[in-house]
Amino acid sequence: MNPFFQALRRASIDWRMVLMASVLIVIAVAFNAMSNGIFLSPENLYNIAQQTAVVGILATVMVLIIVTRNIDLSVGSVLGFIGVLIATLMYSYNWSWPTAALAGLAAAIAVAMYQGYLTAVVGVPSFVVTLGGLMSFRGAAFLVADGRTQPITNAFFLRLGGGYEGAIGTTASWALGLVMCAALVWWKLSQRRARRAYGVPTNAVWVDALMTAVPLVIIIGFVAAMNAYQIPNKAAPQGIPIPVIIWIAVALFVSFLVHRTRFGRYVFAMGGNPDAAALVGIPVKRVMLLLFALLATLTTIAAIVSIARLNAGTNSLGTNMELLVIAATVIGGTALAGGSGSILGSVLGALIMQSIDSGMLLLDVPIGWRYVIIGQVLIVAVVFDVVYRKATGELQ
Amino acid sequence: MNTTTQSSAATKLAKADPSRCLVELRNISKAFGGVVAVDNASLNLYPGEVVALLGHNGAGKSTLMKMLAGAYPIDSGDVVIDGKPVHVRTPADAQRLGIESIYQTLALADNLDAVANLFLGRELLTRWRTLDDHRMDADARTVFKRLNKNFTNVRTPVRRLSGGQRQVVAISRAIYFNARILIMDEPTAALGPEETAMVGNLVRQLKDEGVGIFLISHDMHDVFALSDRLAVMKNGRMVGTYATQDVTEDEVLGMIIAGKQPAGKAQTQRPAR
Repeated sequence: MNPFFQALRRASIDWRMVLMASVLIVIAVAFNAMSNGIFLSPENLYNIAQQTAVVGILATVMVLIIVTRNIDLSVGSVLGFIGVLIATLMYSYNWSWPTAALAGLAAAIAVAMYQGYLTAVVGVPSFVVTLGGLMSFRGAAFLVADGRTQPITNAFFLRLGGGYEGAIGTTASWALGLVMCAALVWWKLSQRRARRAYGVPTNAVWVDALMTAVPLVIIIGFVAAMNAYQIPNKAAPQGIPIPVIIWIAVALFVSFLVHRTRFGRYVFAMGGNPDAAALVGIPVKRVMLLLFALLATLTTIAAIVSIARLNAGTNSLGTNMELLVIAATVIGGTALAGGSGSILGSVLGALIMQSIDSGMLLLDVPIGWRYVIIGQVLIVAVVFDVVYRKATGELQ
Repeated sequence: MNTTTQSSAATKLAKADPSRCLVELRNISKAFGGVVAVDNASLNLYPGEVVALLGHNGAGKSTLMKMLAGAYPIDSGDVVIDGKPVHVRTPADAQRLGIESIYQTLALADNLDAVANLFLGRELLTRWRTLDDHRMDADARTVFKRLNKNFTNVRTPVRRLSGGQRQVVAISRAIYFNARILIMDEPTAALGPEETAMVGNLVRQLKDEGVGIFLISHDMHDVFALSDRLAVMKNGRMVGTYATQDVTEDEVLGMIIAGKQPAGKAQTQRPAR
C-alpha cells in the first residue's frame, strides 16, 4: 500500500462523518442551483442555522439516550410543558427570568427523575414510560396556563431565541470564531505532544494538519456567512445568532462528556453490552439517572430558546418535536440498537434534515410532499446505516 | 517465595502465607425465585493454587462464582478472605478485595476498543478528573504485549478482534489490576489450540506469582493439566472436593453425571503439595 493511504488509514478518520458532510454539501449545492443562488445566501444560511438550533440541542442528548438502548418519545411534550411553565411564571406571576428558568429546570429534573426511575430502577421499557409521558406532559402543558398563550416581553430573554436582536454582531462573532480556531489548534498540538510523551504512535503531520485545517475553514466560513447577513432596516450585520452559540456550546459540552469523562464512557459501554457494564462494576442505574438529568437540563435550555423564538409559551409548543429530534439523531448515524452514535453526527443529521426542509420550502414544494420526502430521507439514512454496518462487519 | 520477582502482584503476595487460606466460601446458598441454584455449598482456595469447579450446565458453579465476584447477592452463608469475613455486594466490592473474573461471555463492550475495555469501570483519570487516554493507551499496550506480542490494533472496537485477542483483553484486566483471586469461567471455550496453550501458560505463571485461581471448565484436559484440586457440583450442591492427582477422569465424570463420590478416595480441603 502506498504511504499516502497508509497514513490515512492509521489516522482513524471517521469516514462516515466525512460522507455525511459530503451529503450535506451536495444537498446545499443542488438546492442552490435549483433556487438560483438563494439557498446559499447569507440570509438563508442564517435562518437554517437558527431554525435547527432547538432540534440540534435536543439531538445531542438523544444520541446518548439511544446509545443506551433507550428512547425518549416525551421530549417534545416535556419541552412544551417546561416552556409554558417558564413563560407563565414570567408573564402571569411576574417572576424574573432567571428564577422562572430555574423553576423550569427544577420541574424538568423532577420529570426526568420520575421517568428515569421507572426506566432505570423499576425496569419499565423507556418506550412505554415516555409514550405515556408524550401524552401526559402535552396535557400538563395545557393545564399550566389553562391553554392560554403566555407572551414573553423581557428584551434580554427574547434575544436568546435569535431573531431581530438575537445575534452577537460582527466583532464578537469574529472574536468567537478566532478563539475557537485557536483552541482547536492548541488542542491538536497538545494531543500530538501527549501522544509522543507516552510513546503512542502519532498521525503523519500532514494528516493532522488536514484534520485541523478543514474545521478551521468551516468555522471561518460560517462566521463570514453570518456576518454577511444584514436585516434590511438594521444598521449593522447580524453575526452569529445566539441560539446557534447555545447549540455549539451544548454540542461541545456533550462531546466533552462522551470523550473525556467516565460518564460518557459508561453510557457507551452500557449500550454496547449491558451485562458486561454491570459485571465490571459500572453503577448502571446511577449513570442512567445522570443521563436523564442531563436530558432535563438540555430540554430546559431548548424550551427557553423555543419560547424566546416564538415570543410566547403556547400549549402546542414542541408538538412532534420528538420525531424531528429522533430523525436528526438517526440520520446522524446513531444506531437504534444502541452502542454507537456521535454528537457531531447529530449536528450533521439535524443540519441535513433542516436543509432539505428549507430547500423544499424555497422551491415551493407543497407541505404534503415535504413530509413525504423528509420521511423517506429518514428511511434512506437507516438503510444506509444497515448497509454500512454490514459492510464494516458490525452486523451479520 | 521469590521476592525478587518484578511483578507487583508477586511482591504484594510475598507477604501472603501460602499455607494460609485465601478464600473460604462457607455454606453459601442462593435461590432465584423458588429455584435453588446453590444449596449450602462450601469451598476454599489457597494462594498459588488452581481449584477447578466442574458440573453440568445449571449445576450452580457459575452462580457460586458470580456471588464471589459480587455479580449476585448471597442469600445465606459467609465469604471469608484472609481469615476475615467480608461482604461482597457489588462487582466493585469484589475488585477492591482483589477478586477479578474472566467470564465465559468475556464481559467486553463490543463497541469499545481494547484499551477502553481493559480499564472499563476503573479508568485512569487526570488531575482534572477527565479520562487519561494517553496513559491508559500506553499502559494497555504494555500489558497486551506481555500476553501477545502481535497485538497492536488496540484502538479498534473489540468486536473486530479474534477470539484470542478478545481473551487477551479479558485476561489483561486480571493482570493489570493485580488480581489475588482469579475466577476463570470457561476461559478456553472459544479459543484455538495455540490460544488455549497461551491461557494455560498464563495460569501457571499467575500461580507461581501466588494468585489463587478458580477455574470453571468442561474441558477435562484443561482440568487435569492445570488444577491442583477439583470440586464437583450437581443440582446446586457440592458433591466433593478432591486432589486432582487422586482421582481419575472416569471418577470425575461419575461425580458430574451421577453425583456419586468415588469409593475409597479421601476428600481434601487443603492444597495438594
